[in-house]
Amino acid sequence: MANTSTTPPVRQHWAHQLLDWVDARFPLTPLWESQWGKYIAPKNMNFWYIFGSLSALVLALQIVTGIFLTMNYKPDALLAFASVEYIMREVPWGWLIRYMHSTGASAFFIVVYLHMFRGLLYGSYRKPRELTWIFGCLIFLSLMAEAFFGYQLPWGQMSFWGAQVIVNLFAAIPVIGPDLAIWIRGDYVIGDATLNRFFAFHVIAIPLVLIGLVVAHLMALHETGSNNPDGIEIKKQPKDPHTGLPLDGIYAHPYYSVKDVFGVAVFLLVFSIIMFFAPEMGGYFLEYNNFIPADPLKTPPHIAPVWYFTPYYSIQRATTTDLLYVLAAGVVVLVAFYWREIPRGLWRKLTLAVAAVLLVGFYFIEAKVWGVVLMGASVLFFFLMPWLDRAPVKSIRYKGPLYKTALAIFVVAFLVLGWLGTEAPTPAYTRLAQVGTLLYFGFFILMPWYSKADSHKPVPSRVTK
Amino acid sequence: MSQSTDATLAPGAAGAEAVDPERRRLLVATCIAGGAASGAVAWPFLASMQPSDRARALGAPVEADISALEPGQQMIVEWQGKPVWIVRRTKEMLATLTQDTAQLADPNSKRSEQPTAAQNEYRSLKPEYLVVVGICTHLGCSPTARFAPNDPSMGPNWPGGFLCPCHGSKFDLAGRVFANMPAPDNLPVPNYKYLSDTKLLIGDETKGA
Amino acid sequence: MTRISRIVLAAALALAAGANARAAETGWKLERAGVDVTDRASLQSGARTFVNYCLGCHGLALMRYSALTSIGLTEEQIKDNLMFTADKVGQPIATAMSARQGKEWFGVAPPDLSVIARARGADWLYTYLRTFYRDASTPTGWNNALFPNVGMPHVLWSLQGERALRTEELMRDGKPVSDGHGGTVKVSRFETIAPGSMSAVEYDRTVRDLVAFLVWAGEPHQLARHQLGIWVLYALVILVFLTYFLYKSYWKDLH
Repeated sequence: MANTSTTPPVRQHWAHQLLDWVDARFPLTPLWESQWGKYIAPKNMNFWYIFGSLSALVLALQIVTGIFLTMNYKPDALLAFASVEYIMREVPWGWLIRYMHSTGASAFFIVVYLHMFRGLLYGSYRKPRELTWIFGCLIFLSLMAEAFFGYQLPWGQMSFWGAQVIVNLFAAIPVIGPDLAIWIRGDYVIGDATLNRFFAFHVIAIPLVLIGLVVAHLMALHETGSNNPDGIEIKKQPKDPHTGLPLDGIYAHPYYSVKDVFGVAVFLLVFSIIMFFAPEMGGYFLEYNNFIPADPLKTPPHIAPVWYFTPYYSIQRATTTDLLYVLAAGVVVLVAFYWREIPRGLWRKLTLAVAAVLLVGFYFIEAKVWGVVLMGASVLFFFLMPWLDRAPVKSIRYKGPLYKTALAIFVVAFLVLGWLGTEAPTPAYTRLAQVGTLLYFGFFILMPWYSKADSHKPVPSRVTK
Repeated sequence: MSQSTDATLAPGAAGAEAVDPERRRLLVATCIAGGAASGAVAWPFLASMQPSDRARALGAPVEADISALEPGQQMIVEWQGKPVWIVRRTKEMLATLTQDTAQLADPNSKRSEQPTAAQNEYRSLKPEYLVVVGICTHLGCSPTARFAPNDPSMGPNWPGGFLCPCHGSKFDLAGRVFANMPAPDNLPVPNYKYLSDTKLLIGDETKGA
Repeated sequence: MTRISRIVLAAALALAAGANARAAETGWKLERAGVDVTDRASLQSGARTFVNYCLGCHGLALMRYSALTSIGLTEEQIKDNLMFTADKVGQPIATAMSARQGKEWFGVAPPDLSVIARARGADWLYTYLRTFYRDASTPTGWNNALFPNVGMPHVLWSLQGERALRTEELMRDGKPVSDGHGGTVKVSRFETIAPGSMSAVEYDRTVRDLVAFLVWAGEPHQLARHQLGIWVLYALVILVFLTYFLYKSYWKDLH
């Protein structure tokens, strides 16, 4: 490599020549370097940071297996059930591809939930990463839609009755509800028309949206740089004189490349154990009743959504008239509680107006509608996280006992709601679900208070191990 | 094999310049293992595009009852989704096969597809019955019967045979293609056998092609 | 591992442990079927019982006769002994009875049984086929303790014999035992009216073989899945080690 300054340039390797040719016409190298190759990441990202890469991996897996399933699946109410079993039995390796896809669906939610939980732990939603977080929330919403539509395709009893219940939620909307439900179904009941359009949403519409959102999510992330378990902004650190990198920054490649590859290998090991030896996962990943063909005349004795929807389903089911009284009291208490925080003038008037609308609504609109509203709100509250959290620090490492307790209660409430959603309702379970619902929303609504009132530890200037 | 020189490396230097032999070995091993794994994962996907058990079951040999077939008549049976013709040839028809073999592209069926037992001037197990896959060897259209000799639309000295409607290839009554036609080879004869004098099993794979 | 991750892992394991049990319509206790889908003799015996006793009304229409070659039968054996509803081994194992006939005769069309074992589970099927009893009040003259008022008659009665169900209060020291909800504890037992051609042990084995066959038919590739799975896990363990050492090798430069 020495003395190149005087001698004419050495003839380049053909691969470099090809790369130069491409780069002169398309920003391949700049794209690679800005998105990963020369992306500077904090050096203290722990294993919680693997779930983003794993989500991308599972997305790719779902797309590839999905394409191959489409080659043999029939979106026709008379043929769908048998065509899935045709894939399982008669298409060479069809069983493997189908199990990859069905296990992948649950795996997707597992890695995404853990990825979101990482965000809650280390404050990844905080400034300046609000848009990364919001794109992520949109991805989560799209993923729920994708999973819901996909779950209809096997056209078993759970597919059919699950769709029936969810579409009827829209029928709860006042005035337009019944017509809206018919429009969604394309028929008076869930039927062939519904299956066919859900298929279109599942295989093309939502995947396009998902891919676009994932690109936006990654571009936003690589613009602001990754957060880390200490919540320290490495971009604000002084540069190392030798390397030109922030003191706690390293190149994502090769360091996080090799770390992610290791994470991928571990994930695939766990994934394969489930896929090859317990693809039904005790009835959670593939529900037993879905091996009975859809029958519009007979509801199975116990229906429950797939596990990843059960927390929200529980919230919807727990919303009875009793709960509305509690919610009404809650609205009054909250307005009083936050009154001094709300700026005078327009904001206070707005708050009173919203509270009045809610109170009147609780009284006049039936609980079923509010169940749908709360189910939607339980997901939409995630969007507000960047503005609900008022703590001066990002990471849980420097937050105080209030946030830690609140997060722990939230996680327990989420899991308990999820478990209740798989069970048949009893009066005691409904009470428990109502408590869980209040705790779930309390995490968000009380956050402006407890995140500010909490004690916080000082954040060091350098990342810790 | 001393490796002490590269032991210290500036943090964050991306390890680009110095080559650590142990790391090199690991990198190569991981790439080989990962590549093998990717290939192994790709295989089921590619293999899934092979005919399924259903396609194989539907493509199984078919039986054909030829007891009602009159001399000079043709019947069509479907095998693997393809038309298989069975023609009961008259003495006159058979006589045309030996007349002017000079006009044929492959009169002895040397480069055409048929079971060895049917590689003869009649291209059949029994001279009377022709069994042939009715798919033109040019681009896959199905030719039509033109059995009448000296059919004016077929040009001079037409001995009787088949005409492909797509590109005009002509075949004689043994499915042999005439010379200077778009189709390169004679119509393929499938594997078949006589279960009885009046029953054929078409597509039987038990003996070699 | 951090404390949080340990808590998460424990919660995940607790969740996985509480498997989503199949619901039984009654409180009748399910008995363990103990089927072995690797036992080909058992599967073949079950296949024989199926075509002789079940295929009259229930199909396995998602499966072809030729698929039975993978439980060790030859095409000739299938043709000679099992193929009652088709003339080619490539045809589906369909029932001879149409859905309309079934609805006329039994009130509901007998379901296809291709994936019944995946919907119901082996234990349910095993218990169900062993709990039929005589009941003059039903149209078929039969009833079932696990599935009350089922439309299906006891097709295996000539093997098991005819039985009656006696339900009595559980007595202790001459007094009925309370169930704690104001009622009394009831116990049910079967009483033989007329013996069948098989002993109880033989009958249980026949039913177990039949259920094993249905479990296999529910997912014919399950054995291949297990066999392939082992090799995939071996390969992935190697990959985990390789990538771990590669990761450590790169990261040892960082402080």
